[in-house]
Amino acid sequence: MDAASCLRRRSPRVAGESVKMTSNFRWFLPTFTLLCLLSRVSGQRKGAPRDLKCTTNNLRAWDCSWKAPSGAGRSALYEVCIENRSPPCYRSGKTNTKIPTLLPGDHEITINPLHDSGSSLSRFTLNEKDVSFIPDPPEILDLSADFPASTLHLKWTDRGSVFPHHSRVIWEIKVLRKDSMEVVKVVTHNTTLNGVDTVHHWSWASDMPLECATHSVGLRCYVDDPHFSGRKEWSDWSPLKNVSWSTDSPGKVFPQDKVILVGSDITFCCVTQEKVSSAQIGYAKCPLIHLDGENVAIRIHNISVSEDSGTNVVFTTKENIYGTVIFAGYPPDIPQKLNCETVDLRGIICTWDPGRPTALVGPRNTSYTLSESFSGKYVKFKRAEALINESYQLLFQILPDQELYNFTLTAHNPLGQSQARILVNVTERVYPRTPSSIKVKDINATAVTLSWHLPGNFAKIKLLCQVEINKMNSVQELRNVTIAGADGSRYLAAVGRLHPYTVYTFRVRCATEPFWKWSRWSDEKQYLTTEAIPSKGPDTWREWRSDGKNLIIYWKPLPVSEANGKILFYNVSCSSDEKTQSFSEIPDPQHKAEMQLDKNDYIISVVAKNSAGASPPSKIASMEIPNDDLRTEQAVGTGRGILLTWGHDPNATCDYVVKWCNASQAEPCLMDWRKVPANSTEAVIESDQFRPGVRYHFFLYGCRNQGYQLLRSVIGYIEELAPIVAPNFTVEDTSADSILVKWEDIPVEELRGFLRGYLFYFEKGERDTSKMRGLESGRPDVKVKNITDTSQKTLRIADLQGRTSYHLVLRAYTSGGLGPGKSMFVVTKENSVGLIIAILIPVAVAVLVGVVTSILCYRKREWIKETFYPDIPNPENCKALQFQKGICEGNSGLKTLEMNPCTPNNVEVLETRTAVPKIEDTEIVSPVAERPEESSPEADPESQVVVSYCPPVVEEEVPNPGADEGGGASQVIYIDVQSMYQPQARPEEELETDPAAGAGAAAGYKPQMHLPVTPAAEDAAAEDGADKSAGYRPQASVRAWNLASPDSPRSTDSNSEAVSFGSPCSINSRQFLIPPKDEDSPKSGGGGWSFTNFFQNKPND
Amino acid sequence: FLLPALLCLLTLLLPPLSLGAPTSPAEPISQAYSLALYMQKNTSMLLQTYLQYQGSPFSDPGFSAPELQLSSLPPAIVSFKTWHALDDGERLGRAQGAFLALTQHLQLVGDDQSSLNPGSPILLAQLRAARLRAQGLLGNMAAITTALGLPIPPEEDTLGLASFGASAFERKCQGYVVTREYGYWTDRAVRDLALLKAKYPG
Repeated sequence: MDAASCLRRRSPRVAGESVKMTSNFRWFLPTFTLLCLLSRVSGQRKGAPRDLKCTTNNLRAWDCSWKAPSGAGRSALYEVCIENRSPPCYRSGKTNTKIPTLLPGDHEITINPLHDSGSSLSRFTLNEKDVSFIPDPPEILDLSADFPASTLHLKWTDRGSVFPHHSRVIWEIKVLRKDSMEVVKVVTHNTTLNGVDTVHHWSWASDMPLECATHSVGLRCYVDDPHFSGRKEWSDWSPLKNVSWSTDSPGKVFPQDKVILVGSDITFCCVTQEKVSSAQIGYAKCPLIHLDGENVAIRIHNISVSEDSGTNVVFTTKENIYGTVIFAGYPPDIPQKLNCETVDLRGIICTWDPGRPTALVGPRNTSYTLSESFSGKYVKFKRAEALINESYQLLFQILPDQELYNFTLTAHNPLGQSQARILVNVTERVYPRTPSSIKVKDINATAVTLSWHLPGNFAKIKLLCQVEINKMNSVQELRNVTIAGADGSRYLAAVGRLHPYTVYTFRVRCATEPFWKWSRWSDEKQYLTTEAIPSKGPDTWREWRSDGKNLIIYWKPLPVSEANGKILFYNVSCSSDEKTQSFSEIPDPQHKAEMQLDKNDYIISVVAKNSAGASPPSKIASMEIPNDDLRTEQAVGTGRGILLTWGHDPNATCDYVVKWCNASQAEPCLMDWRKVPANSTEAVIESDQFRPGVRYHFFLYGCRNQGYQLLRSVIGYIEELAPIVAPNFTVEDTSADSILVKWEDIPVEELRGFLRGYLFYFEKGERDTSKMRGLESGRPDVKVKNITDTSQKTLRIADLQGRTSYHLVLRAYTSGGLGPGKSMFVVTKENSVGLIIAILIPVAVAVLVGVVTSILCYRKREWIKETFYPDIPNPENCKALQFQKGICEGNSGLKTLEMNPCTPNNVEVLETRTAVPKIEDTEIVSPVAERPEESSPEADPESQVVVSYCPPVVEEEVPNPGADEGGGASQVIYIDVQSMYQPQARPEEELETDPAAGAGAAAGYKPQMHLPVTPAAEDAAAEDGADKSAGYRPQASVRAWNLASPDSPRSTDSNSEAVSFGSPCSINSRQFLIPPKDEDSPKSGGGGWSFTNFFQNKPND
Repeated sequence: FLLPALLCLLTLLLPPLSLGAPTSPAEPISQAYSLALYMQKNTSMLLQTYLQYQGSPFSDPGFSAPELQLSSLPPAIVSFKTWHALDDGERLGRAQGAFLALTQHLQLVGDDQSSLNPGSPILLAQLRAARLRAQGLLGNMAAITTALGLPIPPEEDTLGLASFGASAFERKCQGYVVTREYGYWTDRAVRDLALLKAKYPG
């Protein structure tokens, strides 16, 4: 400002001086010239002005300065003259002067110090190129701060009126922060000078709230004048302008309640007098940036989206907390799926989807404005709460005479706005409301009028409506109706081509033309059409009673589609040429009438009547044309029906009729009938009444001149089944080798098919045994006869055995299968000759043998007496002793009987009393001794373990190697039989019967028997069994028995007391030598007994 | 939850409507005491719900800022000696003044939260319920004052227009102080009324 005023002050003065100088110029010129010459002379003598420099700040005048000559006094006066200029010279009391701007090119300038005799004149050559153009420092008119927006607004003038030309100006603006004047922003700003003073504005949004620190702004400029060829330089900086914020509150955090874009960077500061200890945003602590005083700031990068109530930023001091809330969200998304349509042509409803959520709620929520460009009208949508699933929609009232609407939907929130556009022709976007109040009104039995209400102003367009017609058990039908629209009235549509007396369900929906959308379907409306006269007469048939006098007339109820209403009654009339007989008003459920007629030809007429009227009559002739050439055929159906075929009958002028009945039904035979067109030659008769296995009778009638002739008679089954009962058969006659069987027919009801034959089974067998098994199982001993001649009722079975029981079964079969069988047992008669022979031959043989024996005995009676029954028994004749002796003689090694100490008494003492005598033992042992190899345990590993039996005489049990070879050694072999052992012997038995298991495997109780064993035997026992045994073990090493060979002397020695264990038994015979209990034991009486024994025992007994 | 509370309030609000009837102080004291006890059960939940919706650090576990106070709301915590030295009229008068201020502040907090947390009907409903209960207790206390023949303290607008234009953070803090003091004052009211109940047994 100072510079500017200074400039203004200076300019008039300079102008005034130049005027004054111009007026005095003539007078002073000779004097001035003279002075100049003197000055030059003196200057050469004392010095001259030097270093002329010129600058300009406005391109209108140059400010030239020079250095005074040395020694020049303060009151020196200079005359500056410019060659070829008018006025050529200027006087100045200082060492500078302003001269008008010179034209481009060199100008000679002389500076002559006046009143200084010692100085001399100086000459300079001055060119514009040597002049510097330095504008004055610009002046800031105003610097203001928008604190909520953190924005500085700068205002200054360009002083364009000062400069002669239009030129470009570059402004450089610097923003300084804090007391320490940190440069935070330097920016250039380009404008042009246009000859008048123009005020310029510049705004800057600070990244830090302006409240946080003092902000200063400085400005300088650079004028780029294209006409000036000299050096152009930046002006000096303007004086700084400051902006600062002050408050009385103890502390505040800025910015407050700001809404920013997610992901942006932001600085928060706390303006406080207290020392801030920490700062946090949400859960995160932030490093502090110290500002002036105690003020601090934090810098947040890439801020994340806020929750509804915003993100809290809190600064904590020792005694207080200060904070602010920031709302980080998104600008509104472009509204999606903008759609505008009308339901009634009164208002347009535009709906849309807001798209991506903004995360801003409450007052920061998105507001929507729907504006229409043709009419310039708009409606606003504003919600305080962003509720999910709430539809976004706006209603825009339709304007009269405007069909085309150009809508713009603008979404706006503090972070920005977005738009969506849609151009609609409202008459083409009609989505009508659901038609309501459906009503139906009769036109006639086959047509109704449908009416409904549809709200809306459709006066200018057409409505396209669709009527859906639903009938029970029928496909639905859609019919389109085009109706001229109206303003909120009812609409009518006629619906024809309906069936009389039928329940229909109607519903309606509408659209407009051109089509946009169907409305929803209206509610359904059910309606029953009125009755019409039956369209056809009933299907009629007639049957004569068997007496031929009464005619029964049958008719079928009319189907609903032909009855056209509820049939109330039927009228039946019979008319001939002579008379007419009629029944009137036979009520509906009755579908037959009987009347007595003579044999005249009658035409029977049946008429059905409902409330609308009578049906056309259906007529049938009473006469039946006889057919002599008729035979009954058989037919089998397909399971559901039966196929009847016939040849074409040219005489059949009207329909064929097939009637049928259950074959077992009484006359008149009629279940149902069916009419077949006259040109047909076959018909498949199907009926729900048909059952498999039931015989039906079918009759085909041809129609000729109103009379019917029976053409074919067929019995058949729709499906054959197996007979349900067996044929009832009896035995008519029985002989010794044949049976005559007779049977009866099976009743038709139980046959269930056409009889194809019988199967007759027979075999030998008693009642009790044969009952258990069926005859029909294909066994080879069962004979079968297939009787395919169904007329055969008897069967003779020949080639049978006499007096033998036979099992007979008879079964019938059809194509459906085999029926059950009836069974019977028959015994053939005896063959008497064979029996007699069978008795006589044995008797004769017996007699002959007796006679021969008697003769022989008689003749040898003396020898017999001497041999068997001598008077004095001779011991030598004792066979038993001889036998024993012979054995002893043949075996010299046998010493048992010869040794006195070896008496059988030992055996007897140790064991239970036995019936076997001592002598028996020795005898049985003998063969063993002869074949010692067989008794070796190794020879028969599977045999029971044997314990050698030996005489308990210690003195004789000397180890004798030869004893092994000595086949004559007397030994008794014991065979262990578990059940026969005494408890003490059991461990031995268990161990020996299962040597693989070893002693250890036999856990549990063991007898505490002690047996003397050798150390070797003990070791062996310990090695084998010690580690395996569990539980209690016997204190006797029973293994010793195992190891002891029967032939081993040691074994005989050690077992001298144990020989009594077990039962001695012959190896060969396996017979118990000492039976455990008595002679009744079955084992003791087994196969081991020989005749020899028998005889030997006998004397003891 | 809200309906029984409202019904309860209606029954409790009846006595002050019939101010003219000379009644025994025991009945209104008992009713006020019951209401205060009922309110006491819900105050901590209100505070917790409130803090939960304000974001960190308010929603941090164990958040507490005793240094935050509101000049427009008299503090509830006093020393036992001071409290004991008060007479019945003073105690009732201070509690009435506090609950009058609390009803106004709760209204303000409810408005603030409608803008800050519009999608949180639970919080808004609890604030509304707390305000209604405070009003109900005020009515009961007025009935006691009448029954005891004490002068009715003048109703004062403690808020005025000063609280408007506050920043969101200030509003959050204000809501915190109000819900916290509501709990403190309810505790104190229970104590006051228990003392009165002992003095005027029904």
